[in-house]
Amino acid sequence: MRNIQTVAANTFREAVRDRVLYNLVFFALLMMGAAILVGQISIGIEQDMIVSLGLTAISAVGILIAVFLGVALVSKEMDKRTLYALLAKPVRRWEFLLGKFLGLVMTLTVNTAAMAAGLYLALWTVKHPLLKSDAYILVAVYLILLKLALIVALALLFSCFTTPFLAILFSAGIYVAGLFAADLRTVHGVDLDPGTLRLMRGISYLLPNFQNFNVMGAVVHGRGVPGVFIWQATLYALLYIAIVLTGAAVVFSRRNLK
Amino acid sequence: MNRRASYGLFVGIAILAGFACVWRLQASVDAERTELRLEADELALRSPAVMKKLSLEYTPLMGAIYWTRAVQYFGEKHQASNQNLDELWPLLDIATTLDPNLLVAYRFGATFLSDAPPRGAGEPEKAVELLERGIKANPDYWRLYQDLGNVYYFDEKNYLKASQAFEEGSRNPAAMPWMKIMAARIAAEGESLETSYALWLDIYQTATDRDIRKNADEHLRLVQAEMDIREIDKAADVYEQRTKHRAIRISELAQAGLLTGQPLDPGGFPYILGEQGKAEPNPKSPLREEWLKEKK
Repeated sequence: MRNIQTVAANTFREAVRDRVLYNLVFFALLMMGAAILVGQISIGIEQDMIVSLGLTAISAVGILIAVFLGVALVSKEMDKRTLYALLAKPVRRWEFLLGKFLGLVMTLTVNTAAMAAGLYLALWTVKHPLLKSDAYILVAVYLILLKLALIVALALLFSCFTTPFLAILFSAGIYVAGLFAADLRTVHGVDLDPGTLRLMRGISYLLPNFQNFNVMGAVVHGRGVPGVFIWQATLYALLYIAIVLTGAAVVFSRRNLK
Repeated sequence: MNRRASYGLFVGIAILAGFACVWRLQASVDAERTELRLEADELALRSPAVMKKLSLEYTPLMGAIYWTRAVQYFGEKHQASNQNLDELWPLLDIATTLDPNLLVAYRFGATFLSDAPPRGAGEPEKAVELLERGIKANPDYWRLYQDLGNVYYFDEKNYLKASQAFEEGSRNPAAMPWMKIMAARIAAEGESLETSYALWLDIYQTATDRDIRKNADEHLRLVQAEMDIREIDKAADVYEQRTKHRAIRISELAQAGLLTGQPLDPGGFPYILGEQGKAEPNPKSPLREEWLKEKK
């Protein structure tokens, strides 16, 4: 446990020193500020625009960080050869992976919290006092964070067995495919044999369903999200992350690092 | 001045001059682009379903962007007095498909579509389609029934359907009590000036957008003028019955005690009696042009 904590703390420290990270967060905050202006050139959507653009910025910037830093977690250590020095110490490979994962998730949590604060600030400039329904934005932010954690796990898994470039492509591909997972179960207008339909149905459950974490449509219009849905999404993320990290640990432990 | 300071000054001037050139160049590009405006109107992607897929999980943001595009498109065309609003429906279609809960797009979009040119696109049937879609996606929002009733009443002149829309909306516990009254009044009277006034007054009082309020205000003034003219004509009829000749000036009606002074239109201009002794807005009144258009 101590090993995992040490790796996580170092990963967090290393990520926080990365200037790219600050640029991305600054970009997201800039987008939220711009939302105030964009809302004014439209009719009746000033607040909707701030919330939707703010949540989109948090999600999009978070995905970029999760994919690029997630893939770099292992590959960078291998390129710099620091991994070999680390694994020579009494640190198991799965502990290293889990520590890396937790470190990046910590970084993402801090970034997401900063961006959410920016979003509330932008909202406050057009509407004060804030209403009780504005607290639903926090639910959307929390679910985005769960999604990002899942993406980090996937990026880690891919970076364990392929090149960084391919790992980025695979992670992005799985993210996009995961958004359409539910559509695979409800294919209309295509004449497919029952076997193929069963296969598609199976794939739809294997793919991570990223729509489980998408409540933007409701939150933007001030509608609440049922507590059951939040619990289910949390459980889903935890379960899926556990599966992916187990897979990553198995692959990484068998990898020949020579 | 040392060499470093003069270098800084030179760079500063060069940057300012560069921006001045960019400004001038952009002005000429804009002038050239006016000719290409029709091309710029083209929507690259017209399929709402494809747009929804391409928007991934960011459909609320894309919906808001498409709604903003619709507002800007309508505003630009309106300002340029260009009545070709072909792209308005596709923009609204995409915006509301991307975000079916974007209430503002149904409400104002229907106004843009239903109003007769030059105010709008003159496509009330599309406005009805948009509002019916909005009601399906947001059945608890009674204002959409009110908007549907307004389109049927003002633009389609279908009073049965207008009354039905108000009636259906009035069943919502959150709906204003006057929805039921409107349903009954339209069912009984069809079009009447009092009903029109009440409907426009609600639009005026509840609209947050400046242009929508201005439009409602213009209609209110026109309906008020119609009601005043109706009253003056009634007085002129009584005068004719009494004196066996039609009044030529409104002052005659006032002198006969049928009117209390010289009636003024909402713009403060005195009404006049026309050639056939019928009341009409003063030629100096800005309302006259609109009134004549309505009469046609």
